[in-house]
Amino acid sequence: MLEIDNLDVYYGAIQALNGVTLNVQEGEVVSIIGSNGAGKSTLLRTVSGLNRPREGAIRFKGSEIQGTAPDKIVRMGISQSPEGRRIFTNMTVQENLQLGAFTRTDNEIQSDMEKVMDKFPRIRERLKQSAGTLSGGEQQMLAICRALMSRPKLLLLDEPSMGLAPNLVTEIFNIIGELHKDGVTILLVEQNANRALEIADRAYVLETGHIVLEGNGRDLLTNPKVKEAYLGG
Amino acid sequence: MKFWGVRLLSFVLAFGFVYGLDVVTQTAFPNLYRLAVLAGLYVTLAVSLNLINGITGQFSIGHAAFYMIGAYAAGFVSQHMYASQPLGPVLWLVVMMAVGAVFAAIAGIVVGLPSLRLRGDYLAIVTLGFGEIMRIVVQNVDPLGGAYGLNVKPFGEPPKILWLVWLLAVLCIAVCRNLLKTSHGLPFIAVREDEVASAAMGVKTSSVKVTAFVIGSAFAGAAGALLAHSETFISPDTFKMDVSFIILTMVVLGGTGSITGSIMAAVALFAIPEWLRTMQVMIPGSSIVAGILAVGIMVSGFRWVQNNYHESVSKRIGAYLACVVGAAVAAVVLSFVLAFIPQLAQQRLDVAMLRMVIFSMVLIILMLLRPQGVFAHHEFSWDWLSKVLRARKGVTA
Ligand SMILES: Nc1ncnc2c1ncn2[C@@H]1O[C@H](COP(=O)(O)OP(=O)(O)OP(=O)(O)O)[C@@H](O)[C@H]1O
Ligand SMILES: [Mg+2]
Repeated sequence: MLEIDNLDVYYGAIQALNGVTLNVQEGEVVSIIGSNGAGKSTLLRTVSGLNRPREGAIRFKGSEIQGTAPDKIVRMGISQSPEGRRIFTNMTVQENLQLGAFTRTDNEIQSDMEKVMDKFPRIRERLKQSAGTLSGGEQQMLAICRALMSRPKLLLLDEPSMGLAPNLVTEIFNIIGELHKDGVTILLVEQNANRALEIADRAYVLETGHIVLEGNGRDLLTNPKVKEAYLGG
Repeated sequence: MKFWGVRLLSFVLAFGFVYGLDVVTQTAFPNLYRLAVLAGLYVTLAVSLNLINGITGQFSIGHAAFYMIGAYAAGFVSQHMYASQPLGPVLWLVVMMAVGAVFAAIAGIVVGLPSLRLRGDYLAIVTLGFGEIMRIVVQNVDPLGGAYGLNVKPFGEPPKILWLVWLLAVLCIAVCRNLLKTSHGLPFIAVREDEVASAAMGVKTSSVKVTAFVIGSAFAGAAGALLAHSETFISPDTFKMDVSFIILTMVVLGGTGSITGSIMAAVALFAIPEWLRTMQVMIPGSSIVAGILAVGIMVSGFRWVQNNYHESVSKRIGAYLACVVGAAVAAVVLSFVLAFIPQLAQQRLDVAMLRMVIFSMVLIILMLLRPQGVFAHHEFSWDWLSKVLRARKGVTA
């Protein structure tokens, strides 16, 4: 579904991604793990069209999308829950969800909102509340809901467990599991390597802009290099 | 059906209101007529700048440029073409508003485009520079009257257009309010809140920003067209940088993002200096110094209450009143004491002359005590008022 081929991304003179090649098949959960500054967010931002690659190709369902405007990419079916949530804190929860469906013109937005909230009952209870008053975990859920409102074929999640208490991390990962079961294709970026590898069909390890390892989730969990570098020995 | 019914009714009501305002002003306060016109224009200017700065989160500080472009475009066309066409004055003025709006909107696109690449201070400098460049260009174009200025007297007599001015203000308010209250406005506020997140949601942030510039400058241009006709004379000096700053001050002081705030601040900031201008009272220098010191005391007191006094609302209001009384007493005592200094006591000044000093002091005080603006980002509504009152009661109970 998504093929990334030899991608180079720069910020000025700094190279953030160097020859990254990876793919995501329909229905898969693919995780990318790596330490701070490895280039994980850069990768997702580039897929979303928020950064332009200098070299390489990104193909989504066969057509090349590198350098395409972000709104077109959302319309094609890729949406992102960005790092740090970035919800609109001065708007209500409902308005945040409406903005998630911004690119849609069909008349099923309302029913989709209901469906999304069935999965996230906490969000339904707070629909009219200002989004800035939600707890960190609720804000993360809202960011995921908002991304789902565009009816993505591919969902990009950037560190959904960042800054959350362990029980909330479990809740978020359960939800990701459910979305997976519903058939949503997910590209997940995480620092919490343990969880990310457990849930993933396949995973990649990114180090300073290079893919250094790839494999299915279980195998990487037991890989000695991964254990040492990302799973605390 | 219902939708358009409500629209039609509100339009009829608004029309009745502004027309009534015009008639009442003409008959009861004829010497306030011109000021009421200017106040209405400032409301349009402040509310339209609030769309760009407050609602969309850009930082434009050259709004007078669009005002000027609208004024000159409409003034020039009007002066040369009114005689050779069949429309009556009212319809002609409406057409001229459109002319002013279109020219200003084109300028809005020109200035809006850099806003795609520039942020904050940098955009501010571009908009300011644009305003000054346009002014200097006009100053040097002879068909536009150059530095001397342009007469705009297509009808001979200056037209009585208070109602049209306020109708424009109402229209501008309605457009902005609808943006804020309906889903059409969500992308604008989203761009203000977080540009990257908006882009990630599929909002075309660039066209949102340019749209804000276009709508905002079109309203300023229409206001300019009305100014040109009601004043019957415009010159580059009418649109100096301080006009831009006054408009910006109105937006910031009212509470960036709040339409209500912009309206209130526009009327107040326009009216205060004009009112002071009419005051022919001579005050001895000693009292002026005493007054300034007393204001300083009062503001310090207010700040202290704000920061250190966390009692119930009614007690806090009491504390504020105590500051006011204390400051008043201090003013009286100080002016007696300072009167013993002959150099101060003999120097008398007119309030009208002091008006810019008073004006700036009001601004400084408000920014010290309420940096988020009088209304912050709230809007006046009955809902909001009752919520505030209930909250007050809740605290005191
Ligand atoms: N806007 C930017 N301008 C310049 N350099 C940037 C910018 N954003 C990221 N970088 C650099 O690019 C590299 C990759 O950053 P990126 O945000 O993709 O890392 P990450 O893997 O997501 O890290 P983290 O786990 O901390 O979120 C880092 O060295 C970072 O300093
Ligand atoms: Mg990151």
